[in-house]
Formats: sequence, structure tokens, C-alpha cells
Amino acid sequence: MKFIKPKDINNLYEIIDNIDRQYLLAGGTDINVQIKNGIIRNPNIIYINHLKELSGIEEENDSILIGSTTSFKDIIDSRIIKRHIPLIHSSLQNFASPLLQTSATIGGNIANGSPTADVIPILLALDAKLEICSKISCREVFLKDFFIGYKKNVMSNNELITKIIVAKNAEQKYQTFYKKVGSRNSLAIAKVAIAGLKKVENEKIMNIKLAVGSLNEYPRRLFKVEEYIMGKTLIEIDFNKVNEYLQQEITPISDLRSDKEYRYHVCVNLIRTFLNE
Amino acid sequence: MKISFTLNKEKVTIDVDPMKRLLDVLREDFNLLGAKESCGEGECGACTVLLNGKPVTSCILNAIHAEGKEVETVEGISKTKLGKLIMDCFDETNAVQCGFCFPGFFVSSYYYVKTDGEKDLMKIKRALSGNICRCTGYEKIFDSVMLACERSN
Ligand SMILES: Cc1cc2nc3c(=O)[nH]c(=O)nc-3n(C[C@H](O)[C@H](O)[C@H](O)COP(=O)(O)OP(=O)(O)OC[C@H]3O[C@@H](n4cnc5c(N)ncnc54)[C@H](O)[C@@H]3O)c2cc1C
Ligand code: FES
Ligand code: FES
Repeated sequence: MKFIKPKDINNLYEIIDNIDRQYLLAGGTDINVQIKNGIIRNPNIIYINHLKELSGIEEENDSILIGSTTSFKDIIDSRIIKRHIPLIHSSLQNFASPLLQTSATIGGNIANGSPTADVIPILLALDAKLEICSKISCREVFLKDFFIGYKKNVMSNNELITKIIVAKNAEQKYQTFYKKVGSRNSLAIAKVAIAGLKKVENEKIMNIKLAVGSLNEYPRRLFKVEEYIMGKTLIEIDFNKVNEYLQQEITPISDLRSDKEYRYHVCVNLIRTFLNE
Repeated sequence: MKISFTLNKEKVTIDVDPMKRLLDVLREDFNLLGAKESCGEGECGACTVLLNGKPVTSCILNAIHAEGKEVETVEGISKTKLGKLIMDCFDETNAVQCGFCFPGFFVSSYYYVKTDGEKDLMKIKRALSGNICRCTGYEKIFDSVMLACERSN
């Protein structure tokens, strides 16, 4: 086990270019629990929470940039976020507990990539992008393209998430919705999280964006459901069809199979509630 | 690794494994036994301290997270004027039974009264939602914080 504290961001890129198996330590709220439970053993740890370049929220042209090590508390308290992307502000209020909000970072939540990670469905519905950088270059990846399996993503070992990018007008002219059902700690209770944006004109749903957490190996946009709903009025929507499209889009995590039907049911009801609002 | 920080207003430096849990640093290296370990996984708040003025669970933070920052524990906070006021309120409302959860509730309450302080039950409940008590049923704890809000105004 090695512990490294990079001098600056360039030093960090050098280090991750040269070390094989590694964990970046941001807030530590996932890593420390994983170390305690023996899920991570003898890790090489690279601390990143002190690097100024990775933290903070700014406006740049038409975008809001959120540094990857920004804590949820700083995001909830941010005036920029409250003004431009109120969905993020309001839906993160109930993230974990106030004590966790101070330490937990947005980049850690995404990179850890739990199916129940709260911020991911919200950012998916907002069409967010990630900036991912290595020693050589930076690239932008849509969050919808970031995950490729249970806790698997497109980042290589010499890369890290530096920023989360959301368009300033991402929720302009949209009605937004966020709901988390069930509790994170009691596995007996189904949990579904859903984030949505919709634009309605003359009762017709002109545009809709829906993302769910906890149903898949990773949170996911419901593109088929969106396509079915788009252009229809509420009475034209058959919710059995919504359920069908939902199931086509989802590959449930094996240990959640027992209450699969129930979860679908909850999810469809949440979509119905949102459309009725 | 040498790590320096401010602990209850005093500058300190220790030579420590940077991954050692902040809770263990406080308890073992500084003999500050106020913060307690119960779940050890961020769920119960028994280990709550202030880091740069904000409440955190020290059982899932590492020594390195304190570097260059300010750490305040129940021992330091209870000596401040506001800390004493809150301590008295917990006392008067009989909000403490076995007391294991108290340091954590105290730190979270202090943060709430100091940064907000509105006598609003819903807000207080939310502010204390990271802390668990097995004994009191919470009502008396909320009562003490309500009382502290009233008195500190
Ligand atoms: C009691 C408790 C309650 C919780 N409640 C919730 C909840 O309600 N909702 C929820 O979504 N989560 C919850 N969590 C999980 C956790 O707090 C979050 O996932 C948190 O956002 C992780 O961020 P961190 O900075 O602490 O991550 P860390 O533990 O520091 O890192 C997590 C992982 O991400 C990697 N990583 C970190 N930053 C980067 C980066 N910039 N680029 C690439 N990889 C990176 C690390 O290598 C590591 O593998 C809870 C955890 C606990 C202990
Ligand atoms: S011991 Fe730290 S939160 Fe329970
Ligand atoms: S008084 Fe015993 S746990 Fe709270």
C-alpha cells in the first residue's frame, strides 16, 4: 500500500500515469467504508481533495462547471446552482445526511458508480457531460455514455473526472421532477429514484427526459419510454406500454430480482405522477 | 507523514499514517475521547466533529482530510459561550440518557444554532438527521435545541 499526495494537478497526472491499481481519495465516504469491510485491500491511494483546480463551481459561457471534488454541501449552498439549475439544488437536499453532505463529493458519487448513486439520474436528465483528463489530454463524455456495466465505466486507469458540465439553460422552460422511494439502508424496501424534465404545449408533451436509479446495474436514461411519450397528450398515453418500454430498457440487478415487478410498478406510477403534475 | 492542523483553536502537528481515521487520531493521538465510535460507517453520527466549521463523521475521514484545516471537537466547543448555553439546554430538558450519542448531537446542534438558529422543528430535525439515539426517542433532544435557539437569540 502506498499513499501519495500530489504537489499539484500536473503532478497528479504524472502519478496516475505511472501507477497501476489505484484509488483516488476524495471525500473518502465510499472508500473508507470499502476498506473497513475488506472490499478494498492494500490500495494505492492518491489524495486529490486538496487540489484547487478540481473544486468549485463556475459559469463559463453557456455552461456551469462543477469541479469533481466539490462537496454536496457546497453544491446545495451554491447561488449559481440555485439560480440556473434549481433541480440539482432541490433534489440533493435529502442526500444521505447533513454530516455526509459535507464530505461526499460529486465526482466520487459518479466514479464510485453505485446503482443507487443519487446525483447520477439527476445529471442524466439534465444531459450532463463529464470532463475526463489524463496527462496527455482531456475529453468530454456524455454521462449517458460513461457507464458500461456494474461499477464499470469508460475511464482508463490514467484518467480522472475533472469537471461535471451542465448547460446553463438545461432546465429552462422545463418542468422538473425528482422522487426517491424507499430507503437506502433497508434492503427489504424497494428503492427507485427518478429524475425528469418535461415541456408541455397545448397539453401535448413536446419534450421529456427521464432517468432512473436503482433499477439497473447503473442509473440510466429511459430513451424508449421518452420516445413513446413524446408528442402525445396525457390521455393518449397507455401506461401498460410505458411499463413494456421500461422493461425493455432495463436489465435488473440480480439480487433485486425478487421485487422486480414491484419496482417497475413504482417506477411507472412515478412517471404517471410526473405527467399528471 | 507529518500532518498539521488546528485542533480546538490550537496549532498541532503529528507524524501519522495519513490514512488513519480522523476519529482514531483524535482519540488515540490526542486523547480526546468525546467523539465516539458506534457504527464506524457514517450512519450514526456518534463521531461527529467540526471540520472547517462544518459537521462531519470523523470515522469515515482520514488524518489527511484534516491537513491545514480546523478541527473542533465536543471538548473545545463546550468551552465556548454558545457551547455552554447548549450544554445547559440539554441538561435542563433531560435530553441525555446513556449519553453515548450526546457528543455527536451536541456538535450538530451547535452547528445548527450557530449558523441558522431558527426555532423551527422541521429544520432542527433535518439538521440532526445524521445522528442516531437509541435511548431518548428524540423529542427531548429536539426540545433542547428549540430551547437553545430561543435563548441564543
Ligand atoms: C452513511 C452513508 C450514507 C450515504 N448515503 C448516500 C446517499 O444517500 N446517496 C448516495 O448517492 N450516496 C450515498 N453514500 C455514498 C457516498 O457518500 C457517495 O457516493 C459520495 O458522493 C462519494 O464521494 P467521496 O468523495 O466520498 O468518494 P471517495 O470515497 O473519495 O471515492 C469513491 C470512488 O470514486 C473514485 N473517485 C473519486 N473522485 C474521483 C474523480 N474525480 N475521478 C475519478 N475517480 C474518482 C475513488 O477512486 C473511489 O473509487 C453514502 C455513504 C455513507 C457512508
Ligand atoms: S461511528 Fe461514525 S457515524 Fe457512526
Ligand atoms: S442517550 Fe443513549 S444513545 Fe442517545
